[in-house]
Amino acid sequence: MKDDATFHDAKLQELAQRLGTRAAERLDVERTAQAVVTRLHAEARAPARPSVWSQPAWLKIAAALVIVVGAGAVARGVRQAPSGAAGSVETVDLSDMSAPQLRALLESVGQPGTQEPVSSQDVGLEDLSPAQLRTLLASLDIQT
Amino acid sequence: MPPAEPLAAVPSPTDAALITAWQGGDEQAAAELVRRHARALARFLAGAGAPEPDLDDVVQETFIRAFRAVGTFRGQCRFRTWLLTIGGNVLKDAHRRAKRTRVVPLADDLRSTDGDPHERAVAAEAERRLGDGLGRLTRMQREVFLLRAQQGLEYDEIAAALGTTPGAARVHYHHAVRRLKECLT
Repeated sequence: MKDDATFHDAKLQELAQRLGTRAAERLDVERTAQAVVTRLHAEARAPARPSVWSQPAWLKIAAALVIVVGAGAVARGVRQAPSGAAGSVETVDLSDMSAPQLRALLESVGQPGTQEPVSSQDVGLEDLSPAQLRTLLASLDIQT
Repeated sequence: MPPAEPLAAVPSPTDAALITAWQGGDEQAAAELVRRHARALARFLAGAGAPEPDLDDVVQETFIRAFRAVGTFRGQCRFRTWLLTIGGNVLKDAHRRAKRTRVVPLADDLRSTDGDPHERAVAAEAERRLGDGLGRLTRMQREVFLLRAQQGLEYDEIAAALGTTPGAARVHYHHAVRRLKECLT
């Protein structure tokens, strides 16, 4: 069995070494060398033609698109974040509330706002615009 | 008149020296590299399935691509080995374009007049089967097999050229041999 395997290995090796030999022998190496040199020479003399994707205009457009799309995605993410957070707050259904709870709610709504009223002392004459000053002076004239 | 000194044998320039000369604009250095490696490349390409009528074109295209990209050659393997792997890429592209199957040079083998006609026919049939078997291998298996069995390269060299490990190259080779033996029996 081992002899058979060795025989096949040797046969395969011999065949592989022979493979393509005749075709390679028929190759006119000198002609191929001259053809390659001619092509290289022609390429060297031809003006370099950059590929479509290496042109600066395409690169600029592609870069601008990436920036616009990226900025859009970031802006959308920022805008969606607060609304998403608000969306997670549970809404309260009034029908689920008990009578005492409803009463407490009505009382809290009926009370004046928690914001402190602006004191007249907080506002000086220097804070008024010329038009407001004129109006104020006119009202004082009327009163006097 | 002093006696003429015997001419010292001029060592032929190495591949590296020719590559450097080509990069410096010496077109004859490129021509010398083609002369040096064209037959080995043609043998590899024919073994890998290049149809003989297209062989010259594929060889030329391989050299052109190699000279264009020679700046990327870092000496990780010999220039010839690197050239053979580029040839494999060129052949793959050519096959993709042409959608052609391998042309087996059976008729040429039979036209040969030396040796016993029966032996020639048997050898040609074995070669045809090997060609068919190679066509059924994966590209990696086929290239590893050819680089090892046809070109006689070591696994380290094959691995460096094909971007794999010597162990993986060995495995590809053994898979290739197993499948090719099946084709020959």
